Amino acid sequence: MSALTIRLGDRVVAARIDGGGGVIIDDTTFTVTAARPGEYVVDDGRRRWHVAVADAGDARWVSVDGQVAVVEVESGTARAPRKKSAAADSMMAPMPATVLKLLVEPGQTVTEGATILVLEAMKMELPIRAPRDGVVRAVHCAQGELVQPGVALVDLE
Amino acid sequence: MALKRVLIANRGEIAVRVIRACRELGIETVAVYSDADARAQHALLADRAVRIGPAAPRESYLNQAAILDAAWSTGADAIHPGYGFLSERAGFARACEDRGIVFIGPPSSAIERMGSKIGARRLMQDAGVPVVPGETPPDQQDASLVAAATRIGFPVLIKPSAGGGGIGMKVVRERVAMLEAIAQARREAEAAFGDGTLYVERLVDRPRHVEVQVLADAHEQTVHLFERECSMQRRHQKVIEESPSPALSSSVRDQMGQAAVSAARAAGYRNAGTVEFLLEGEGDDARFYFLEMNTRLQVEHPVTEMVTGVDLVHAQLRVAAGEPLPWSEQALSQRGHAIECRIYAEDPLQNFLPQAGPLVMYREPQGPGIRVDSGVTEGAEITVHYDPMIAKLIVAGDTREAARRRAVDALRRYAVLGVRTNIPFLIALLEHPAFIQGKVDTGFLDREGDALRAALEPDLPPAAFAAAAAHQPTPAQPIASTVAASRREPAVADPFVSLGEWRSR
Repeated sequence: MSALTIRLGDRVVAARIDGGGGVIIDDTTFTVTAARPGEYVVDDGRRRWHVAVADAGDARWVSVDGQVAVVEVESGTARAPRKKSAAADSMMAPMPATVLKLLVEPGQTVTEGATILVLEAMKMELPIRAPRDGVVRAVHCAQGELVQPGVALVDLE
Repeated sequence: MALKRVLIANRGEIAVRVIRACRELGIETVAVYSDADARAQHALLADRAVRIGPAAPRESYLNQAAILDAAWSTGADAIHPGYGFLSERAGFARACEDRGIVFIGPPSSAIERMGSKIGARRLMQDAGVPVVPGETPPDQQDASLVAAATRIGFPVLIKPSAGGGGIGMKVVRERVAMLEAIAQARREAEAAFGDGTLYVERLVDRPRHVEVQVLADAHEQTVHLFERECSMQRRHQKVIEESPSPALSSSVRDQMGQAAVSAARAAGYRNAGTVEFLLEGEGDDARFYFLEMNTRLQVEHPVTEMVTGVDLVHAQLRVAAGEPLPWSEQALSQRGHAIECRIYAEDPLQNFLPQAGPLVMYREPQGPGIRVDSGVTEGAEITVHYDPMIAKLIVAGDTREAARRRAVDALRRYAVLGVRTNIPFLIALLEHPAFIQGKVDTGFLDREGDALRAALEPDLPPAAFAAAAAHQPTPAQPIASTVAASRREPAVADPFVSLGEWRSR
């Protein structure tokens, strides 16, 4: 019997694996059978679900009945939910894109909803707006630059 | 003159679809590819493949010189442009004509005539096809555009004169919003089409988008293949298309078909094209206006194929080779109902931001009445360089409701992992009461989209977590000896696990 913790955003699910093809979550035992690589039939004794699972790097993607989610699986029992990072204070590109326009400079005061920069990707303009009132602490990109997702473009303080 | 070798100047699902059609007719195929697509489906599938440049479309799929060179060096006698890219560039069609290469599409003169929204309108008015009031100020000054909008009456629609696909189109409800909309439309039009000329027209109230497929040969024959309804649009980008339209009575359908044939004849059209109309109202009282003519094969052409039973790409290839149309108008009919859903790599929960990444799982649904046109396979990389549409699911059923249910079930079985897609959103649309009743206008998604999206936060059943816990990343490998060392014990009744070392490596 081994314990796993699965996280989906703020939701934390504790699972135990019983070695005989069973996964126990909240006192329910699910029988998990691989139909094809990555495709599972999950049976709780009353009904079945068809679930697809695949890993992309550290992320585990799960799809059931047209719903898709990315979960994290850790061995061991659940710890407290993680604190939200301070990422909300940095504006990032949601995808690889080109900086079309940079509308702020360090030290500038911005109000919530103000357009901070405009990205261009796939023929579309994507305005990036301030999540709250604040002062621009640093600018990490330049007009015309190709930027990657998850990298801070502008920091607020 | 039979075609021997066709170069497909496109990528993705449409290139794959054209390659297959050529193969079925015994025609050799040449694919072209950018550096981002060296291992893409279309490049691997064709009889030959030629690199035409770096990933950026301007340097590859829009690079006319490189594509014409590829046609010359491979001895291709014809070019199929697909949709998008060079498909509606009159200059490219003319360059093909000048070199004695068959352009599988209309003559350059027809592209030119219909490519200018202003010219096309005038032509349609002269041919007796109804049009929406609108104008293009010749000097293109901001003040002239504002004055035109004021004359026509708000709300108005600003459109790039050269464009298509909804790029650069802006709805303006009041005069004060004109200048910003003009600037943005002009920028987007210049970036996308290299031409910032703008056109202003009256916004028809709650219109439906209904279009008619036409096909003309070089022997004075033009037929229509009935309508497709494409009202389910997000910012002028079609999401779901169907045929027949739930809003057309048979008399309006006949009138619209006739108008489309008149439009094609007036344009001196040849090959496959689509005449788009705005439909105001429904049933016998509905009125329709010419919107524009798309002088190419459309993304949604399979919907027509599913209800008429014809192969439009086969017909394109035959007509391009100088053969007469394979069917007469009387021989064509609509049977049953078809629905197409466009699968986009975009995240509905993040305002439909286009997504990039590896398709770690890609499993298409199969079954009676289900067709998937795709240009990707499992393991492929979705890049940001091109349109985010990765596939189309097309279903057919006896009735609209049968087709709708079939589409929902197929989407629920369509496993795409590694990149977010709009599949959950498509399911929500197909299940929406307005769609079920067939009462959707082109503004529906822009009005209801936020509410629909809010309902999309995944609410995974515990069973999904059970599968996530039990999942073993490489179940097809002989893993018995490594399982004990892994941090997870095998929880899956997998035949390969019990076979263990017995399997050869």
